[in-house]
Amino acid sequence: MENGPVTQAEGKDPSGFLSEIIGAPVTVKLNSGVVYKGELQSVDGYMNIALEKTEEYVKGVKRRNYGDAFVRGNNVMYIAAD
Amino acid sequence: MASQLLPLELIDKCVGSRIWVIMKGDKEFAGTLVGFDDYVNMVLEDVTEFDYSGSHTKLKKILLNGNNICMLIPGGEGPEGAVSASP
Repeated sequence: MENGPVTQAEGKDPSGFLSEIIGAPVTVKLNSGVVYKGELQSVDGYMNIALEKTEEYVKGVKRRNYGDAFVRGNNVMYIAAD
Repeated sequence: MASQLLPLELIDKCVGSRIWVIMKGDKEFAGTLVGFDDYVNMVLEDVTEFDYSGSHTKLKKILLNGNNICMLIPGGEGPEGAVSASP
C-alpha cells in the first residue's frame, strides 16, 4: 500500500482537514465549554489556533469580541468547520 | 499463526463508518470517521455532540483533539443507540 504524504491530503486526516479550513469561519470549543467563533487564520501541530473577528460564547451567551485571538492548543476540545 | 490486530489498525478499519467517541468526563460524540493521526486526533463528519446536560449539538465536520478521548466504539450511534444493562 502506498501512503506518501500527498496521497490523502484532501481533508481526510487531521492535517489535511486543517489546511482545508484555513481562512474559513470555524467554531472552536475548549474543554471548559467556552466557544470561540471566528475566521481561522492558522493552526499548528499543538492545535494552537489564531482566530480573527473572534466572538466568545460562555454557556451559549455571547460575552466579548476580539479582533485577533490566540488560543493555546492544550485547551482545545474540537475545531468545527461552520 | 494469525497476526494480531493492533488497536490503531482496528480504528483504521473504521475509517468511513460511524463511530462513537467517549471522552474523559461526561462528553460523547457520534459521527462518521474521516481520518485520524498517531495521537488519535480525529476528523469526524455529521457529528452529534452529547453534552453532560443531555443536550445534543449537530456539527458538520470537526477535528476532535485526541487528548481527552477515552474510548472508541465502532459502529456506535451514541448513548441513545446503546442498550443499557438491565438492573
